[in-house]
This record gives sequence, structure tokens and C-alpha cells, in this order.
Amino acid sequence: MASVEWIKTFFFAKTAPLITPSHFRGFPHLTGKECTHCFQCMMICPAPGAIEVIRTEKPGEWKPVIHLGHCIRCGLCVEICPELVLDSGRVHTKNAQDGTYMQFQFHITVNPVTCMGCGICSVACPVNKEIDPQLAAKGTSTSDEVIMRVYKGINTVFHEEKCTGCKTCEEQCPNRSVMVARVLEPLQITEEP
Amino acid sequence: MEDKVRHIVCPYCGCLCDDILVELTDGKISGVENACTLGAHKFLDDADNRLKGPIMRKGDEWIDISYEEAIAFAVQTLSEADRPLLYGWSGCVTETQAIGAHLAELIGGVVDSTTSVCHGPSILAIQEVGHPGCTLGQVKNRADTIVYWGSNPIEAHPRHLSRYTNYADAYFLHNAFRERKVIVFDVRKTATAEIATEFVQLEQGGDYHVLSALRAIVRGREDVVPDMIAGVPKSQLIGVAELCKKAKFGALFFGVGVTMTGGKYKNIRNAIEFVDELNRHTKWTISPMRGHSNVYGSNEVFTWITGYPYAVDYARGIAFYNPGETTAVDILARKEADAALIMASDPGAHFPRACCEHLAKIPTILFDPYPSATTHLCTVQIPCAVNGIDAAGTAYRMDGIPIRTRKFLETGYPTDTSLMNEIYEQIRERKEHA
Repeated sequence: MASVEWIKTFFFAKTAPLITPSHFRGFPHLTGKECTHCFQCMMICPAPGAIEVIRTEKPGEWKPVIHLGHCIRCGLCVEICPELVLDSGRVHTKNAQDGTYMQFQFHITVNPVTCMGCGICSVACPVNKEIDPQLAAKGTSTSDEVIMRVYKGINTVFHEEKCTGCKTCEEQCPNRSVMVARVLEPLQITEEP
Repeated sequence: MEDKVRHIVCPYCGCLCDDILVELTDGKISGVENACTLGAHKFLDDADNRLKGPIMRKGDEWIDISYEEAIAFAVQTLSEADRPLLYGWSGCVTETQAIGAHLAELIGGVVDSTTSVCHGPSILAIQEVGHPGCTLGQVKNRADTIVYWGSNPIEAHPRHLSRYTNYADAYFLHNAFRERKVIVFDVRKTATAEIATEFVQLEQGGDYHVLSALRAIVRGREDVVPDMIAGVPKSQLIGVAELCKKAKFGALFFGVGVTMTGGKYKNIRNAIEFVDELNRHTKWTISPMRGHSNVYGSNEVFTWITGYPYAVDYARGIAFYNPGETTAVDILARKEADAALIMASDPGAHFPRACCEHLAKIPTILFDPYPSATTHLCTVQIPCAVNGIDAAGTAYRMDGIPIRTRKFLETGYPTDTSLMNEIYEQIRERKEHA
């Protein structure tokens, strides 16, 4: 008799109904707005392999793809996307209400003790290659506009703001002297006085 | 006043980078662009470390002497010696090396370069089976597979990868460093191995075995190769051989890790024959990673003057070459030399203890702009201008390309070429009047 009672309480217990709250932030989904493949969502994503921006079968069309097994639903990709391609939960509504937005940049650190000045990072850097073709062609830097180059025997960062965070330098450094960190800054629009 | 001088040649290692930019402030080097850590500090730390003038050992003290006195000492010592040794020559220009070779003939001495303790075995192997080499420019523009064997360019030739092999854009490759493959063979996981596509870790002294196994595999006789060769699984070597055969243009670079281990020149011979084998399938080249800025030049100069690349003995009046007998280490170990002239190198830091002890006993004249480990062994040290800073001349890059070094500073130091010329002329006059 007691066991029947127990089963009843167990299965028919009166608990709050399972309703997804309005503020719940699920996996990001596409809003249908056009993706300009700026890759900011991929750059900001803290979970490895969670988001990819890929070319679709339609010519010139790109879109982000969320890999659900990897996504941690942090919503950063939604928040950073300048074209509002993605949406999840109340991210956009809250941002619009509070006038908040996110900005990120990359910070490059070079360890001057271990750096051999081999120049691999600055030659491999795809942004440097665009800025200074001479550097890409033969490792000779002729421009002050590059992100980094070897100066006084050590890789020296000149224009950090140009870094797109691809981490090619970090991956190619033979003695792990270059580190690229993402610095995220939440900002709020202040009204003019 | 700030000034920038372009197209300076770095006199440090065999890469001989000729794209250095030096910043001068009030006539002093204040900045260096493009050079690696090793090269940049050769320029930046130059002024602080120069010896002010010639010094001579008197008992337990050093006394300052004039250049004339230093030259007079060198002339007397060398012309009176029975078996003088003229060693070094890797950091100076070819013009000085030529005087060295002629001086050896004049005084019946032995002229040997630092080759005998680095790539001497490579030269012996090349004399046996030839050298299928090419310039670094060819490697940069064509090579899609690069092998570093027993060498760690990141620490010894830092710009080798970024400038000549893996990273720089190639004329004949679409996306150079993404397409290129780097294979590293070494006994330990070096910095270069960190960025390698494939790293083969072999046991100390296993180079000959692994090369033989690779040759067998490339020839299609992998059935004779055992499952493990010097700590390397056969399957890995089969993979590496496949990579090598697939290459459109391959370049093998080897360092002193192969030349100065058991087997010596036979390792290099095997490596050259491995490259020969690969050339039946595709295009492959092999080159030594020469250390000093102009060590290749010493081999070139000695060869065109004496007929032999290093370790040339003029005791018989004619050039005699027998590495193992006429090499500097062997002559010093047998305590044969009774006077030594060390030019632009540091045997005190690299030679066996017995050789250093003998150098300290005999009158030793050292030509070096900076105090070094050899300073502690020598009788007289003569500082001279530094090739590539305050002296100009010709130096040979590791691939045999002669490059004219540039002088961009006026320091007042005499060049080693003028000092050696003076010594040569004075000894010649002395011999004529005797």
C-alpha cells in the first residue's frame, strides 16, 4: 500500500510546469539577414569548433553554422555580429534597451627572452602579407605599417589594431614566444550632454 | 643625428642576410631591422665589447702594445716557428683568407679553417660522391618539401626558414607556406621540430641506419628493412619516403648533428646517395647548413689557391692534405705546433681541453675584435675591424654565393686584410734577406 502511495507522489508530484522562460538563451539561430562573412562570430567564439562561416551553394552567399555539440550558448556571436545575422534569447532586445554593444580587439604578446627573431610570425601573418609584399616575398620588411616585424632582433608589434586574430603567428612560432589574446570590451552608448 | 643605412650584410651566420637596415645615432648603432637575435646583437653590442688595442701577456698581466709591436711579434714568431698553425678564417673576408693561404706556403705552415670541426666530413663526402646542391633562391622559389636533418635552424640560423625555405612566398607555388612540408630528423624535439609537418626522432648515432633504410624504401626494397630502425618505426619511414617521392622539388639541409656524430662523413655520403636515389623519382637537392658567415669562403679560397679545401699542410713545401692528420685539432693534440695564428675564430671555446692546453703553452697570436675564450690562451691579441661593420670584403653564403659585405662605420681599427698583408710582406722581406 505504501509503495503505491510512493509511486503516486513520485510520478504525479505537483511541481511548477516546465516552461521555457522568455529570457532563456538557446542556441543561436539565423535571422535571415545577409551574412557579410566578416568572421567576427568565429573570432569571438570561445568554444573551439562551435561556429563556422561557410559558403553556401548559392553564389556569393555565406552563412554561419552552429555545431550544437560544441556550442555553449554564451551568445557572444549574437552580440558581436554587426549585421544581426544571428539571434538568441533577449540578446538584441536587451542591447537595444540598454544601448550596450561589444567591441573586441586582439592583443599580441611577444616573449623577448625566448624570441629568436626568426621572423616566421611576421612573414606568415596574412595581414602583413597584404600590407608589405616585400616581407611576404623574401622576409625583408620595408613598411612601418605592418602588424609586427623583427626589430633589434626581437619580433616587435607595431600595429596591434590591425590583427584579425587568426593566430597564424601563434601557431607557427617554433618556441611559443608569440601569444594572441582576445580582449573583449562591453560598451554602452552614452547620451550627449 | 639619426641615419638609416640599408642593404647591410649581416656577418654572423652562413645565411649572410643582405637585407639588414641599421639605424645610426651620432655615429653609433642604435637600431637594427630585419636581423634575427643573433645578427642584431652582433651589431648592437659591437661598440661595447671591442678591445681598445693590441694586448700582450707579460707574466700574469696584460700590457697594451702598439700595432707595430704586435705585428713585429707575429712576424718574428711565425718566421722562426718550425710548424706554425694558421687556424680560423671563418669570420674574416676572403681577401684575408687568401693572404693566409699564401702565408702558410711562405712559412711552411698548416692552414686550416673551422671547417675541420664542423662540415669537414661533408666536404670529404662531397669529394667521394659529389654535391647535388642548389642556391637558396632555388629552394625559396621551387621547393615544396624541405628536410632538416641534424640541424636546428631556429636557434642556429634563425631566418633560414622565414627567408629561404618554408615561409617566404615562392614563384612556383601558389600558397607557399601552406603547401610546403617540413620534415625534421633529430635526436631530440628541437624548436624546428615544433613547426615540422613530420618529425622523426632517431636514436643518437642512428643517422646512417635511417638513411640506409630510406634508400632501401625509395628503391622499392622495403622488405629488407626491419620494423624498427634506430628508434624509428618502419611505417613512419615509409610515410616519409612517400612524402619525399611526392615532392615536385625537395631540398635536404643537414647540420653538424650528422657530420659530428659517429660515422662522420659516411653519414653525409649516405645522405647524398639518398638524394641521388630520390632524383630517380623527382627533383631533390642537398646542402650543408654552414655555420660561420664566411666558412664556405675559406673552403673556396683554399681550394683555388692550394687545391684543397681545408687542413692544408705546407711543411713539405707543397700542399699536403690529410684530414685527421693535418687538421688543427690533431696537430694540437699531438703537440706538434710550436706557434699559432688564430684568425677570427674561437678555438678556446670549442676545442678539446688538450688542444687548448697546448695553445696556451705555445706563442699564440689571436686576431679578434672582441675578448673571447681564446683570449685566455693567447700571447698577443690584435683587435681589427669587423667584416660587415667597419670593414668590407667578400663572403660566401652557405650555398656558395659570394656576397660583398658593406662597411658603414668608421672606427679607425685596421682591417685584418691590411694587418695580414703587413705580416706577409715583412716575413717575405725577412726570408729574402736571410
